[in-house]
Amino acid sequence: MTRTSERSEERERLLDRVRSDLPAGRLPAEIFNSPVVFDLEQERVFSRVWLFLAHESELPDPGDYVLRSLAGNSVIVARSESGDIGCFLNMCRHRGNQVCKASEGNASHFRCSYHGWTYTNTGQLIGVPQIRTVYDKTFDRDDWGLLPVRTETYAGLVFGCIDPDAPSLDEYLGGFQFYLDLYLRPGPNGTEAYAPPDRWVADVDWKICAENFAGDGYHTPVAHQFGFQLGYYASSASTHAAGYAVHIPGKGHGIGLGRTPGMPPFFGYPDDVVALMEQQLTEEQLSIFRETRTAVGTVFPNLSLLIQPFSTVPGEPGLRFCTMRLWQPIGVGRMQMLSWCLVPTDASDEYKREAYRAYTLAFGHAGMFEQDDFDNWSRVTRMAGSPLSRDVSFPYLMGLGHEPLPDFPGPGVAVQPYVTETNFRNLWQTWFDLLEQP
Amino acid sequence: MTPSVTASDPSAKDPGAGDRSLVAMVERFLFLEAELVDDRRFEAWLELFADDATYEVPLRVTREAQAGSQLSDRGRMFWDSKETLAIRVQRLLSEYAWAEQPPSRTRHFVSNVRVISTGEDGALEVRSNVLVYRNRGDEPTHDLYSADRRDELVPLGDSFRIHRRWMAVDQSNLTGNSLSVFL
Repeated sequence: MTRTSERSEERERLLDRVRSDLPAGRLPAEIFNSPVVFDLEQERVFSRVWLFLAHESELPDPGDYVLRSLAGNSVIVARSESGDIGCFLNMCRHRGNQVCKASEGNASHFRCSYHGWTYTNTGQLIGVPQIRTVYDKTFDRDDWGLLPVRTETYAGLVFGCIDPDAPSLDEYLGGFQFYLDLYLRPGPNGTEAYAPPDRWVADVDWKICAENFAGDGYHTPVAHQFGFQLGYYASSASTHAAGYAVHIPGKGHGIGLGRTPGMPPFFGYPDDVVALMEQQLTEEQLSIFRETRTAVGTVFPNLSLLIQPFSTVPGEPGLRFCTMRLWQPIGVGRMQMLSWCLVPTDASDEYKREAYRAYTLAFGHAGMFEQDDFDNWSRVTRMAGSPLSRDVSFPYLMGLGHEPLPDFPGPGVAVQPYVTETNFRNLWQTWFDLLEQP
Repeated sequence: MTPSVTASDPSAKDPGAGDRSLVAMVERFLFLEAELVDDRRFEAWLELFADDATYEVPLRVTREAQAGSQLSDRGRMFWDSKETLAIRVQRLLSEYAWAEQPPSRTRHFVSNVRVISTGEDGALEVRSNVLVYRNRGDEPTHDLYSADRRDELVPLGDSFRIHRRWMAVDQSNLTGNSLSVFL
């Protein structure tokens, strides 16, 4: 048997397993650490969907750029002199050297250090050393600009897509914007990234994280037990399941909206931010967000956001911080983590600073909640790679067959309680629909 | 914010050079501090910090040489006070610090200790190099964190308390599934 046919047989075996598991509310464990799944995802998921690139506030001035990864490609995201944000493959068109080597900076031009081809920050080739002597007159610089990547923006978030035929970002988000506004539109000027992202590499499959942030309220009282036990977290194990889980069918996006019964409205937000939210958001949005303690959501496939109150004094309301994270697969069972803290642009400097400090203490590479999660997730990944995991499926049975709430004010399918697996079944179905599409 | 003391001035007289006993005292203190944290005697370790102490680890970024600093102005991996360090310690001493259960084994190597300046109140600006080795469980690999450390030490009896600790890690993209140890 040839290697190619072995590979395609292995693909079919795996796809068949997922195909038969999903309708029964199951998922094969091996998908969380599999070379076959990794290759399929690169080919069929990450090359087709909108992926997060950068927050506009990371590029405040003309010439500002950040270096990011898009579906395994090193790309430059830059703000041009006219103020537009563009994205280009970080590869000189002449012999392929990287034209940008810094993770952030400001430049009007990118000059390749190999043969000197020079590009503007809009990707246009404008400098070719010795052009008149070494090339003939038919050489046209316009043919050799940096390879552009399609970008679109929602509420400050810049996304890129390498499929030219993919539908618009708006259509892709498919109503999830309603919930993203809780994170991204806390005032007329939206949010800003307080600082560059924390970056680290982890032996974790990206999907475990994306699923967890699509609304896994079930793990919180156990994985983060210290927070409950010591009083830094405004919930208790007995009331923790209260709230909603909402997903956008067929799109994969999902959010968990945890509530604490009796919690004062907008608990943990400063008054000036609450006043701005009340002006900015619709009554439908406010009716949900007012009562939300934890909002934890994933934009399919690998961008997640979390708003949560955190207190440094046990029992006190503390304050809300918002983290946004990108889970990028870089190998089988291995990922590159980027984690930002978003703050309301219109909030006071003091609140921004304190929200960021709460973020570093709770999330971020050294954050106490983060530590617990990554330890668990690395062990899930390790076990999913065991030979015997080929015989194991995980149950995704919570809330199976539950009727959606008939009069929920937001788009998508909403169920109660917050602790359920309805969002995850939608996430996995969306993932699988892409995976089995050649 | 980067501490005001940024480098030893090679042309200036090293204030520590004339007083080897001062450097030796500082080293003795830093070695004891490393020993407490490696032995996981976190409560005793915390006592070495002044009540208004700060503990900061800035985010490392990769910038062109012309940009000057390769540290984020605002980003931090740790941005702690003694109060928040105490929360971290309280968590580590609880039964629920899963990321440290079983615990990491750390070894802090503190070297190149320089006393940069002495204030009128006796406070010392100290710069040192730190290498933290970390291993956990049966992993055959380890994490290494190399850092430029600046401490402001205030004298207390024949020892010191840490008034400000600032450490810049030399790696911009870190390893270790989580950073659950003190640097």
